[in-house]
Formats: sequence, C-alpha cells, structure tokens
Amino acid sequence: MKTRMFSVLCQNVPGVMMRISRSFTRRQINLDSITVGIEPSGLARVILTFKADDRLAEFMRRVLARAEPIIDVEVIDPERSIAREIALLKTKKLDEEQLWKVVELVERAGGKVLENKGNVLIVELSGSHEHIEKVITELGPDILKEVARSGQVLISRETS
Amino acid sequence: MSMVEMTGAKALFEALKAEGVRDIFGIPGGAMIPVYDALYDEPEIRHILTRHEQAAAHAADGYARATGKPGVCFTTSGPGATNLTTGILTAYMDSSPVVAISGQMPNSVLGSDAFQEADMLSIMLPITKHNFIIRHVTELPAIIRLAFKTATTGRPGPVHIDLPKDVQVSKADLKIPAEVNYHKKIKLDPDPEDIRKAVRMLVDAEQPVIYAGGGVIWSSASAEVVTLAEMLGAPVVTSLMGKGVIPEDHPLALGMLGMHGRMAANLAVSECDVLLGVGVRFSDRATGDVRHFASRAKIIHIDIDQVELGKNVRVDLPILGDAKRSLAAIIEGIKLQVKKGRTSDWLQRVKRMREELAPRMDYDEVPTKPQRVIKEIMSVLNEDAIIVTEVGQCQMWAAHFYVVKKPRHFISSGGLGTMGFGFPASMGVKIARPECDVVTIAGDGSFLMNSQELATVVENKINVVSCIFNNRYLGMVKQWQDLFYQKRRCGVYLGNVPDFVKLAEAYGAWGDRATRPSEIAPKLREALKCGKPAILDIPIDPDEHVLPMVPAGGRLDEPILT
Repeated sequence: MKTRMFSVLCQNVPGVMMRISRSFTRRQINLDSITVGIEPSGLARVILTFKADDRLAEFMRRVLARAEPIIDVEVIDPERSIAREIALLKTKKLDEEQLWKVVELVERAGGKVLENKGNVLIVELSGSHEHIEKVITELGPDILKEVARSGQVLISRETS
Repeated sequence: MSMVEMTGAKALFEALKAEGVRDIFGIPGGAMIPVYDALYDEPEIRHILTRHEQAAAHAADGYARATGKPGVCFTTSGPGATNLTTGILTAYMDSSPVVAISGQMPNSVLGSDAFQEADMLSIMLPITKHNFIIRHVTELPAIIRLAFKTATTGRPGPVHIDLPKDVQVSKADLKIPAEVNYHKKIKLDPDPEDIRKAVRMLVDAEQPVIYAGGGVIWSSASAEVVTLAEMLGAPVVTSLMGKGVIPEDHPLALGMLGMHGRMAANLAVSECDVLLGVGVRFSDRATGDVRHFASRAKIIHIDIDQVELGKNVRVDLPILGDAKRSLAAIIEGIKLQVKKGRTSDWLQRVKRMREELAPRMDYDEVPTKPQRVIKEIMSVLNEDAIIVTEVGQCQMWAAHFYVVKKPRHFISSGGLGTMGFGFPASMGVKIARPECDVVTIAGDGSFLMNSQELATVVENKINVVSCIFNNRYLGMVKQWQDLFYQKRRCGVYLGNVPDFVKLAEAYGAWGDRATRPSEIAPKLREALKCGKPAILDIPIDPDEHVLPMVPAGGRLDEPILT
C-alpha cells in the first residue's frame, strides 16, 4: 500500500489531536507519523503519514474534512512538495574502531556529531524519511542505543 | 443586547431561550445545582425530570425527530453524563440534533479523579457530531449558540457540552451573540453538471426506482420525492428512517427494503436499471450482499455528507448537496425534457408486485399473531398519530406492516438499534406534539429497559400509550437462534414476569390486557381516551418470526419466506 501524506489545517482546540487520531484508529489504520505546528494565524497544521489504498485514502480525506474543528485537508503529492525529518541518534559505548566508523558514516550522510561523552555519541541527522531509514539500518542495533525522530514535516512547492 | 453581568448558569438559559428552547429533559446532581438554581427563575422553560439520564437523551431525541428542532437534555457530571452515552450515540447514528449539557467538576480539579469526575470530552468525542468543554464563562454564550448551529447545520447530529461548576457560578459581563460564526462550509446546492447527468439517466431509465431515507425527512424533501416519483413513474422504496417520506398507501410506495423489508421493495431494487438513492447511507441492513445489490442498476446517490458518497456501495453518480435542493433541480431538469414514450411494463410490474406480494395480516389465532396486532392498531389510529417503536421483532413488524402516511410520524432507532429507546422517546414526541396520539410499539424485553419512565409520564401527565407485544422473549435473538443456530435458544427467555397491567397500576398509569385479537381495537381506544399514560399488554404468539427475512449478507431477492 502507498504511503499517504495529509496536511490538515485545524482549530487549535482541546481534543483536536484525539479527534484526528481516533478517526484512523477506528478504521484500523496506523499513523506512521504525526507532526504539529502552530501557524502564524493561530491555527494548527498537522502533518500525517499513513498507508492506505486509493479508496481508503480518499475516504479518510473526507472523514477528516467533515470533522468540525478541521478547516482544510490537503493531500500532499510527494512530487510537488519537500518533506524532511530530523533524527537524533545515541550510540552504545563504542570502541575506537566502531567510533571512527560511525563518525565517517554520519559525516558521509550529511549528519553531525553533537556530543561525545566517554565514547557514547549523540548524532544529528536530517533528510528525507528514506535517507534517515537507510542510515539507521546501516548503523544497526549493535551500534545504536536510542533514536528520537521528529516525524515528517513538509511544505508544498506551489508558489501561488 | 448589551453586556450584562450574569453568572454562567444564567447566561446558559439566556442562550437557550435565544434558541427557542422551551422543554428540557434531565436529572440534576451535585455538579449541576447552580444550573438548576438558575432554572428556578425560568418560568418559560419546562423541565421534565426523567428517572434515568439515558431516558432524558432518548426523550430529547424523540422531540427532535418529531419536530426537526433540537431536543435538549441536562445531566450532572460523572455517572449522570456517562448514562447519556447510549442515547447520544443513538441520536448520532440516526442524524438527530440533540444538544446535551452536563455538569462537570470545577476546572481546578479536572484530571484529579475528583468525586463524580469523568473525562466526558474524551468519552463523548467519538459519539457526537461535535463536543465542547467550556473552560471560561466568557466562552459560554458563543459555545451554546455554536452547539445548536452545529447540531442543525448540514447533516444533523448530537452535540455535547461539558460545563464545569466553576463556569456555572462565575460572573462576567456577557452578551448572547445574535449570530455565531460557523466556519464549516456546507455545500447545499448540487453541481449543475451532476444534475444534468442525473436527469439524463432518469429520463432514459426503463425501470427506475427511488430509494429514500431519513435525510429526506431532515431536509423536508418528502413532497419532492413524491413529485419526482410521479413524474418518472418510479416506485419508491425507503429505509427504516425513510418511512413516511411517501404516504405508504400511494400506488408507487413499495415500503421498506432490506433484511425485513417488503418483498416488492426488495424485488424492485433487484430489478431496476437506475436507482436514485437520496438521504440514505446504504446500510448493510438495507442492502444485504452489496455485490448483488441493485446489480442491474446504475446508482445515483444524493447526500449532504461527503463521507457517505460511495462509502458502502459502488455509485455511478455521486451528488453532494441538500436533498431538497437536489431533487428540486432534478425535477426542473426533467420538466424541460421531451417526454419519452416509456412503456408501461414497469408500472404494470410495480402494480402487480404491490398487489400480489402484499403482506397478510388477517390472522385470527390466539395468542394473537403480531401481524394482526399491527392491523388492529392501524384500524384505531388516524394518520396524524405518531408511531414510536422499540427495537427488535416488534420494530420490524411495525416497519414491515404499519402503513405510515406522513414524515416524522414513524420514529425508531435505526442505526444503533437501541432497545429501551421507544418508550422514553415517546415522551419527547408527546411533549413536542401534544395534539397527536403517540403510540409505542414495544416488545416486553425493550420496554423493561426503560420502564422506570412510567414515573415520569405519570407525574408529568404525558399521556402516551405503549402497546407491548408480549412474547416473553428477546424475540429477535430467539429468531436468529431458531433460524441460524439450530433452535438452541439461549439467554432469551424472559420468564413470566412482570405483570404489565399491575406494573402500570403501580405507577398510577392505565393498564389492561388484550388476549384476543378482537379485544385490541376497543381496548386501545379506551387507552387513548383514559386521560392517563397507558400500557396495553398484548400477549402474542411466541413462536412467530419476522418474515420474510434476508439473512445478514444475503441477497435481497433470496429471502427466507417461511
């Protein structure tokens, strides 16, 4: 099933996140990521990613659009938008060889080592969802102790 | 109105009066006393003290269904509010505008498991069209007005408001807004291109059928359905919620379709080449197996709720818009068409189906057959009487056999199928329409689920009549066990108690029993004239099934007949 992205503009009122998330729970869809930001207008913008076929995705668009506090649901076309994610990675205590391997890999991936305390590294990575997935897989569970991810934020490329 | 200093409780009543509210069903409690204290000074508002909060919700729902205007109920916090849930979900499933207001613990203790605190924002969220918690008294006037606007705009539905006690007592300079800013854009007018296509499909159809539901009633579009049916020579079938859209004695009315629908309705849908669904949601109880539903037809679906379009069945032409406006546009479009010489074969077929498949009701057996009971009730009541039903076999007998002549004159819990709905709903109906006879067709099982409301109807002189189809069983479950579980009846026998006549008398209501078919009509007349709420206990054949029946997921044209 295809990954879908919705950009949902809604009132910033109590219960709005629950209203959105339960609409998916009820149809047995797992949300892969949720990010929320407050727009200059005071409205909240919620970016959702989930997997669904065409029919279910359109159904969910309508379900969200119907909800009272929701003002607009934009279906994001990945071709016409830029999506990014940030991840913070903490390693286990590494030996010297592992440490240099991680530093090299992170730098090659455009990331940054933020901290090294007694051979435990904290690393910052940003990029597409797939890029971050790839780096995390490459480092693997023998190296990584903890991963914190932002979920995807995105912005449309439309200019008007 | 200028700003006036008042409490939240006072402002609540000012806002309710601005909405034209005159009747409220409810029960007070600790977290709602300030509201009731303000109610003490409101002689224009009639408060009906129910004996259970669920009944208050059903009564408000009945009021809304009978009038089209919002019904209002009050409860306290915690258990009072949670008791509303079944009633609120019942209203939600059938798109009924109920506005429910519950007291809540003060804002300062929310989340601390204070006495009678329940997280009502979360509990009500999935079962309402929308719900609110009022955090500050200054928000109150606009939220109350927004609640009514939300309940009644577009597809109607229930709204719940959680009202913390500190908000009820705090004072502020307040003004009830004349207008409220409702941000949702509801598309009422259909796209002209869709209407053109619909007109073309309907005019070209050889065997058209109109399938009308509750949305037609909420949109007051019954006259348009009848006009269109007559223009097209199209028979009309209805959902349970659509009963009364067309007078059911009209030559083009084929009655309810679906699991317990009329044979003629189910066959017409199976044979038609264009099906116009309007204000319906193609519920599984109406369609049976969707792969075989109207399988020869192109389907046009008019609905005001975009979520419904294409949700349950394949739709060839979805039309988003108000039922009344969309039908009116189609009627205008058809007027401009050159009349096509449609053969009268379809109308002949419809006429034959209507006559040959008319259900039989003239049984003389004792105990009385339920079909005969419906016949007797119909012989007594005029077309202005409002029939309310409980849920189960009694409901389906009423839906199948009772000939309803007007919209809002058949009131039943469709989507949720709530046993215990009918009797309390009938209170709301009678309060809203005191000039009409209001008769509940109940089963003994359903009636006992809210029979405590006998106290409410007697105390408030709400003279409703309950006809109890008494078979001493949870009849519909028994029917499924008989038909699909090798007659292994389990957990369905209710025993030989209570004596419903004595139960009525214990509350000071009128009670009598009609054991023979010939006794039903005279005793029902007496019940209607007795000047009290009444129970007519009618022992019926305990082995009778609701037939024909399309098994769940079966084809409409392949019902069980015997």
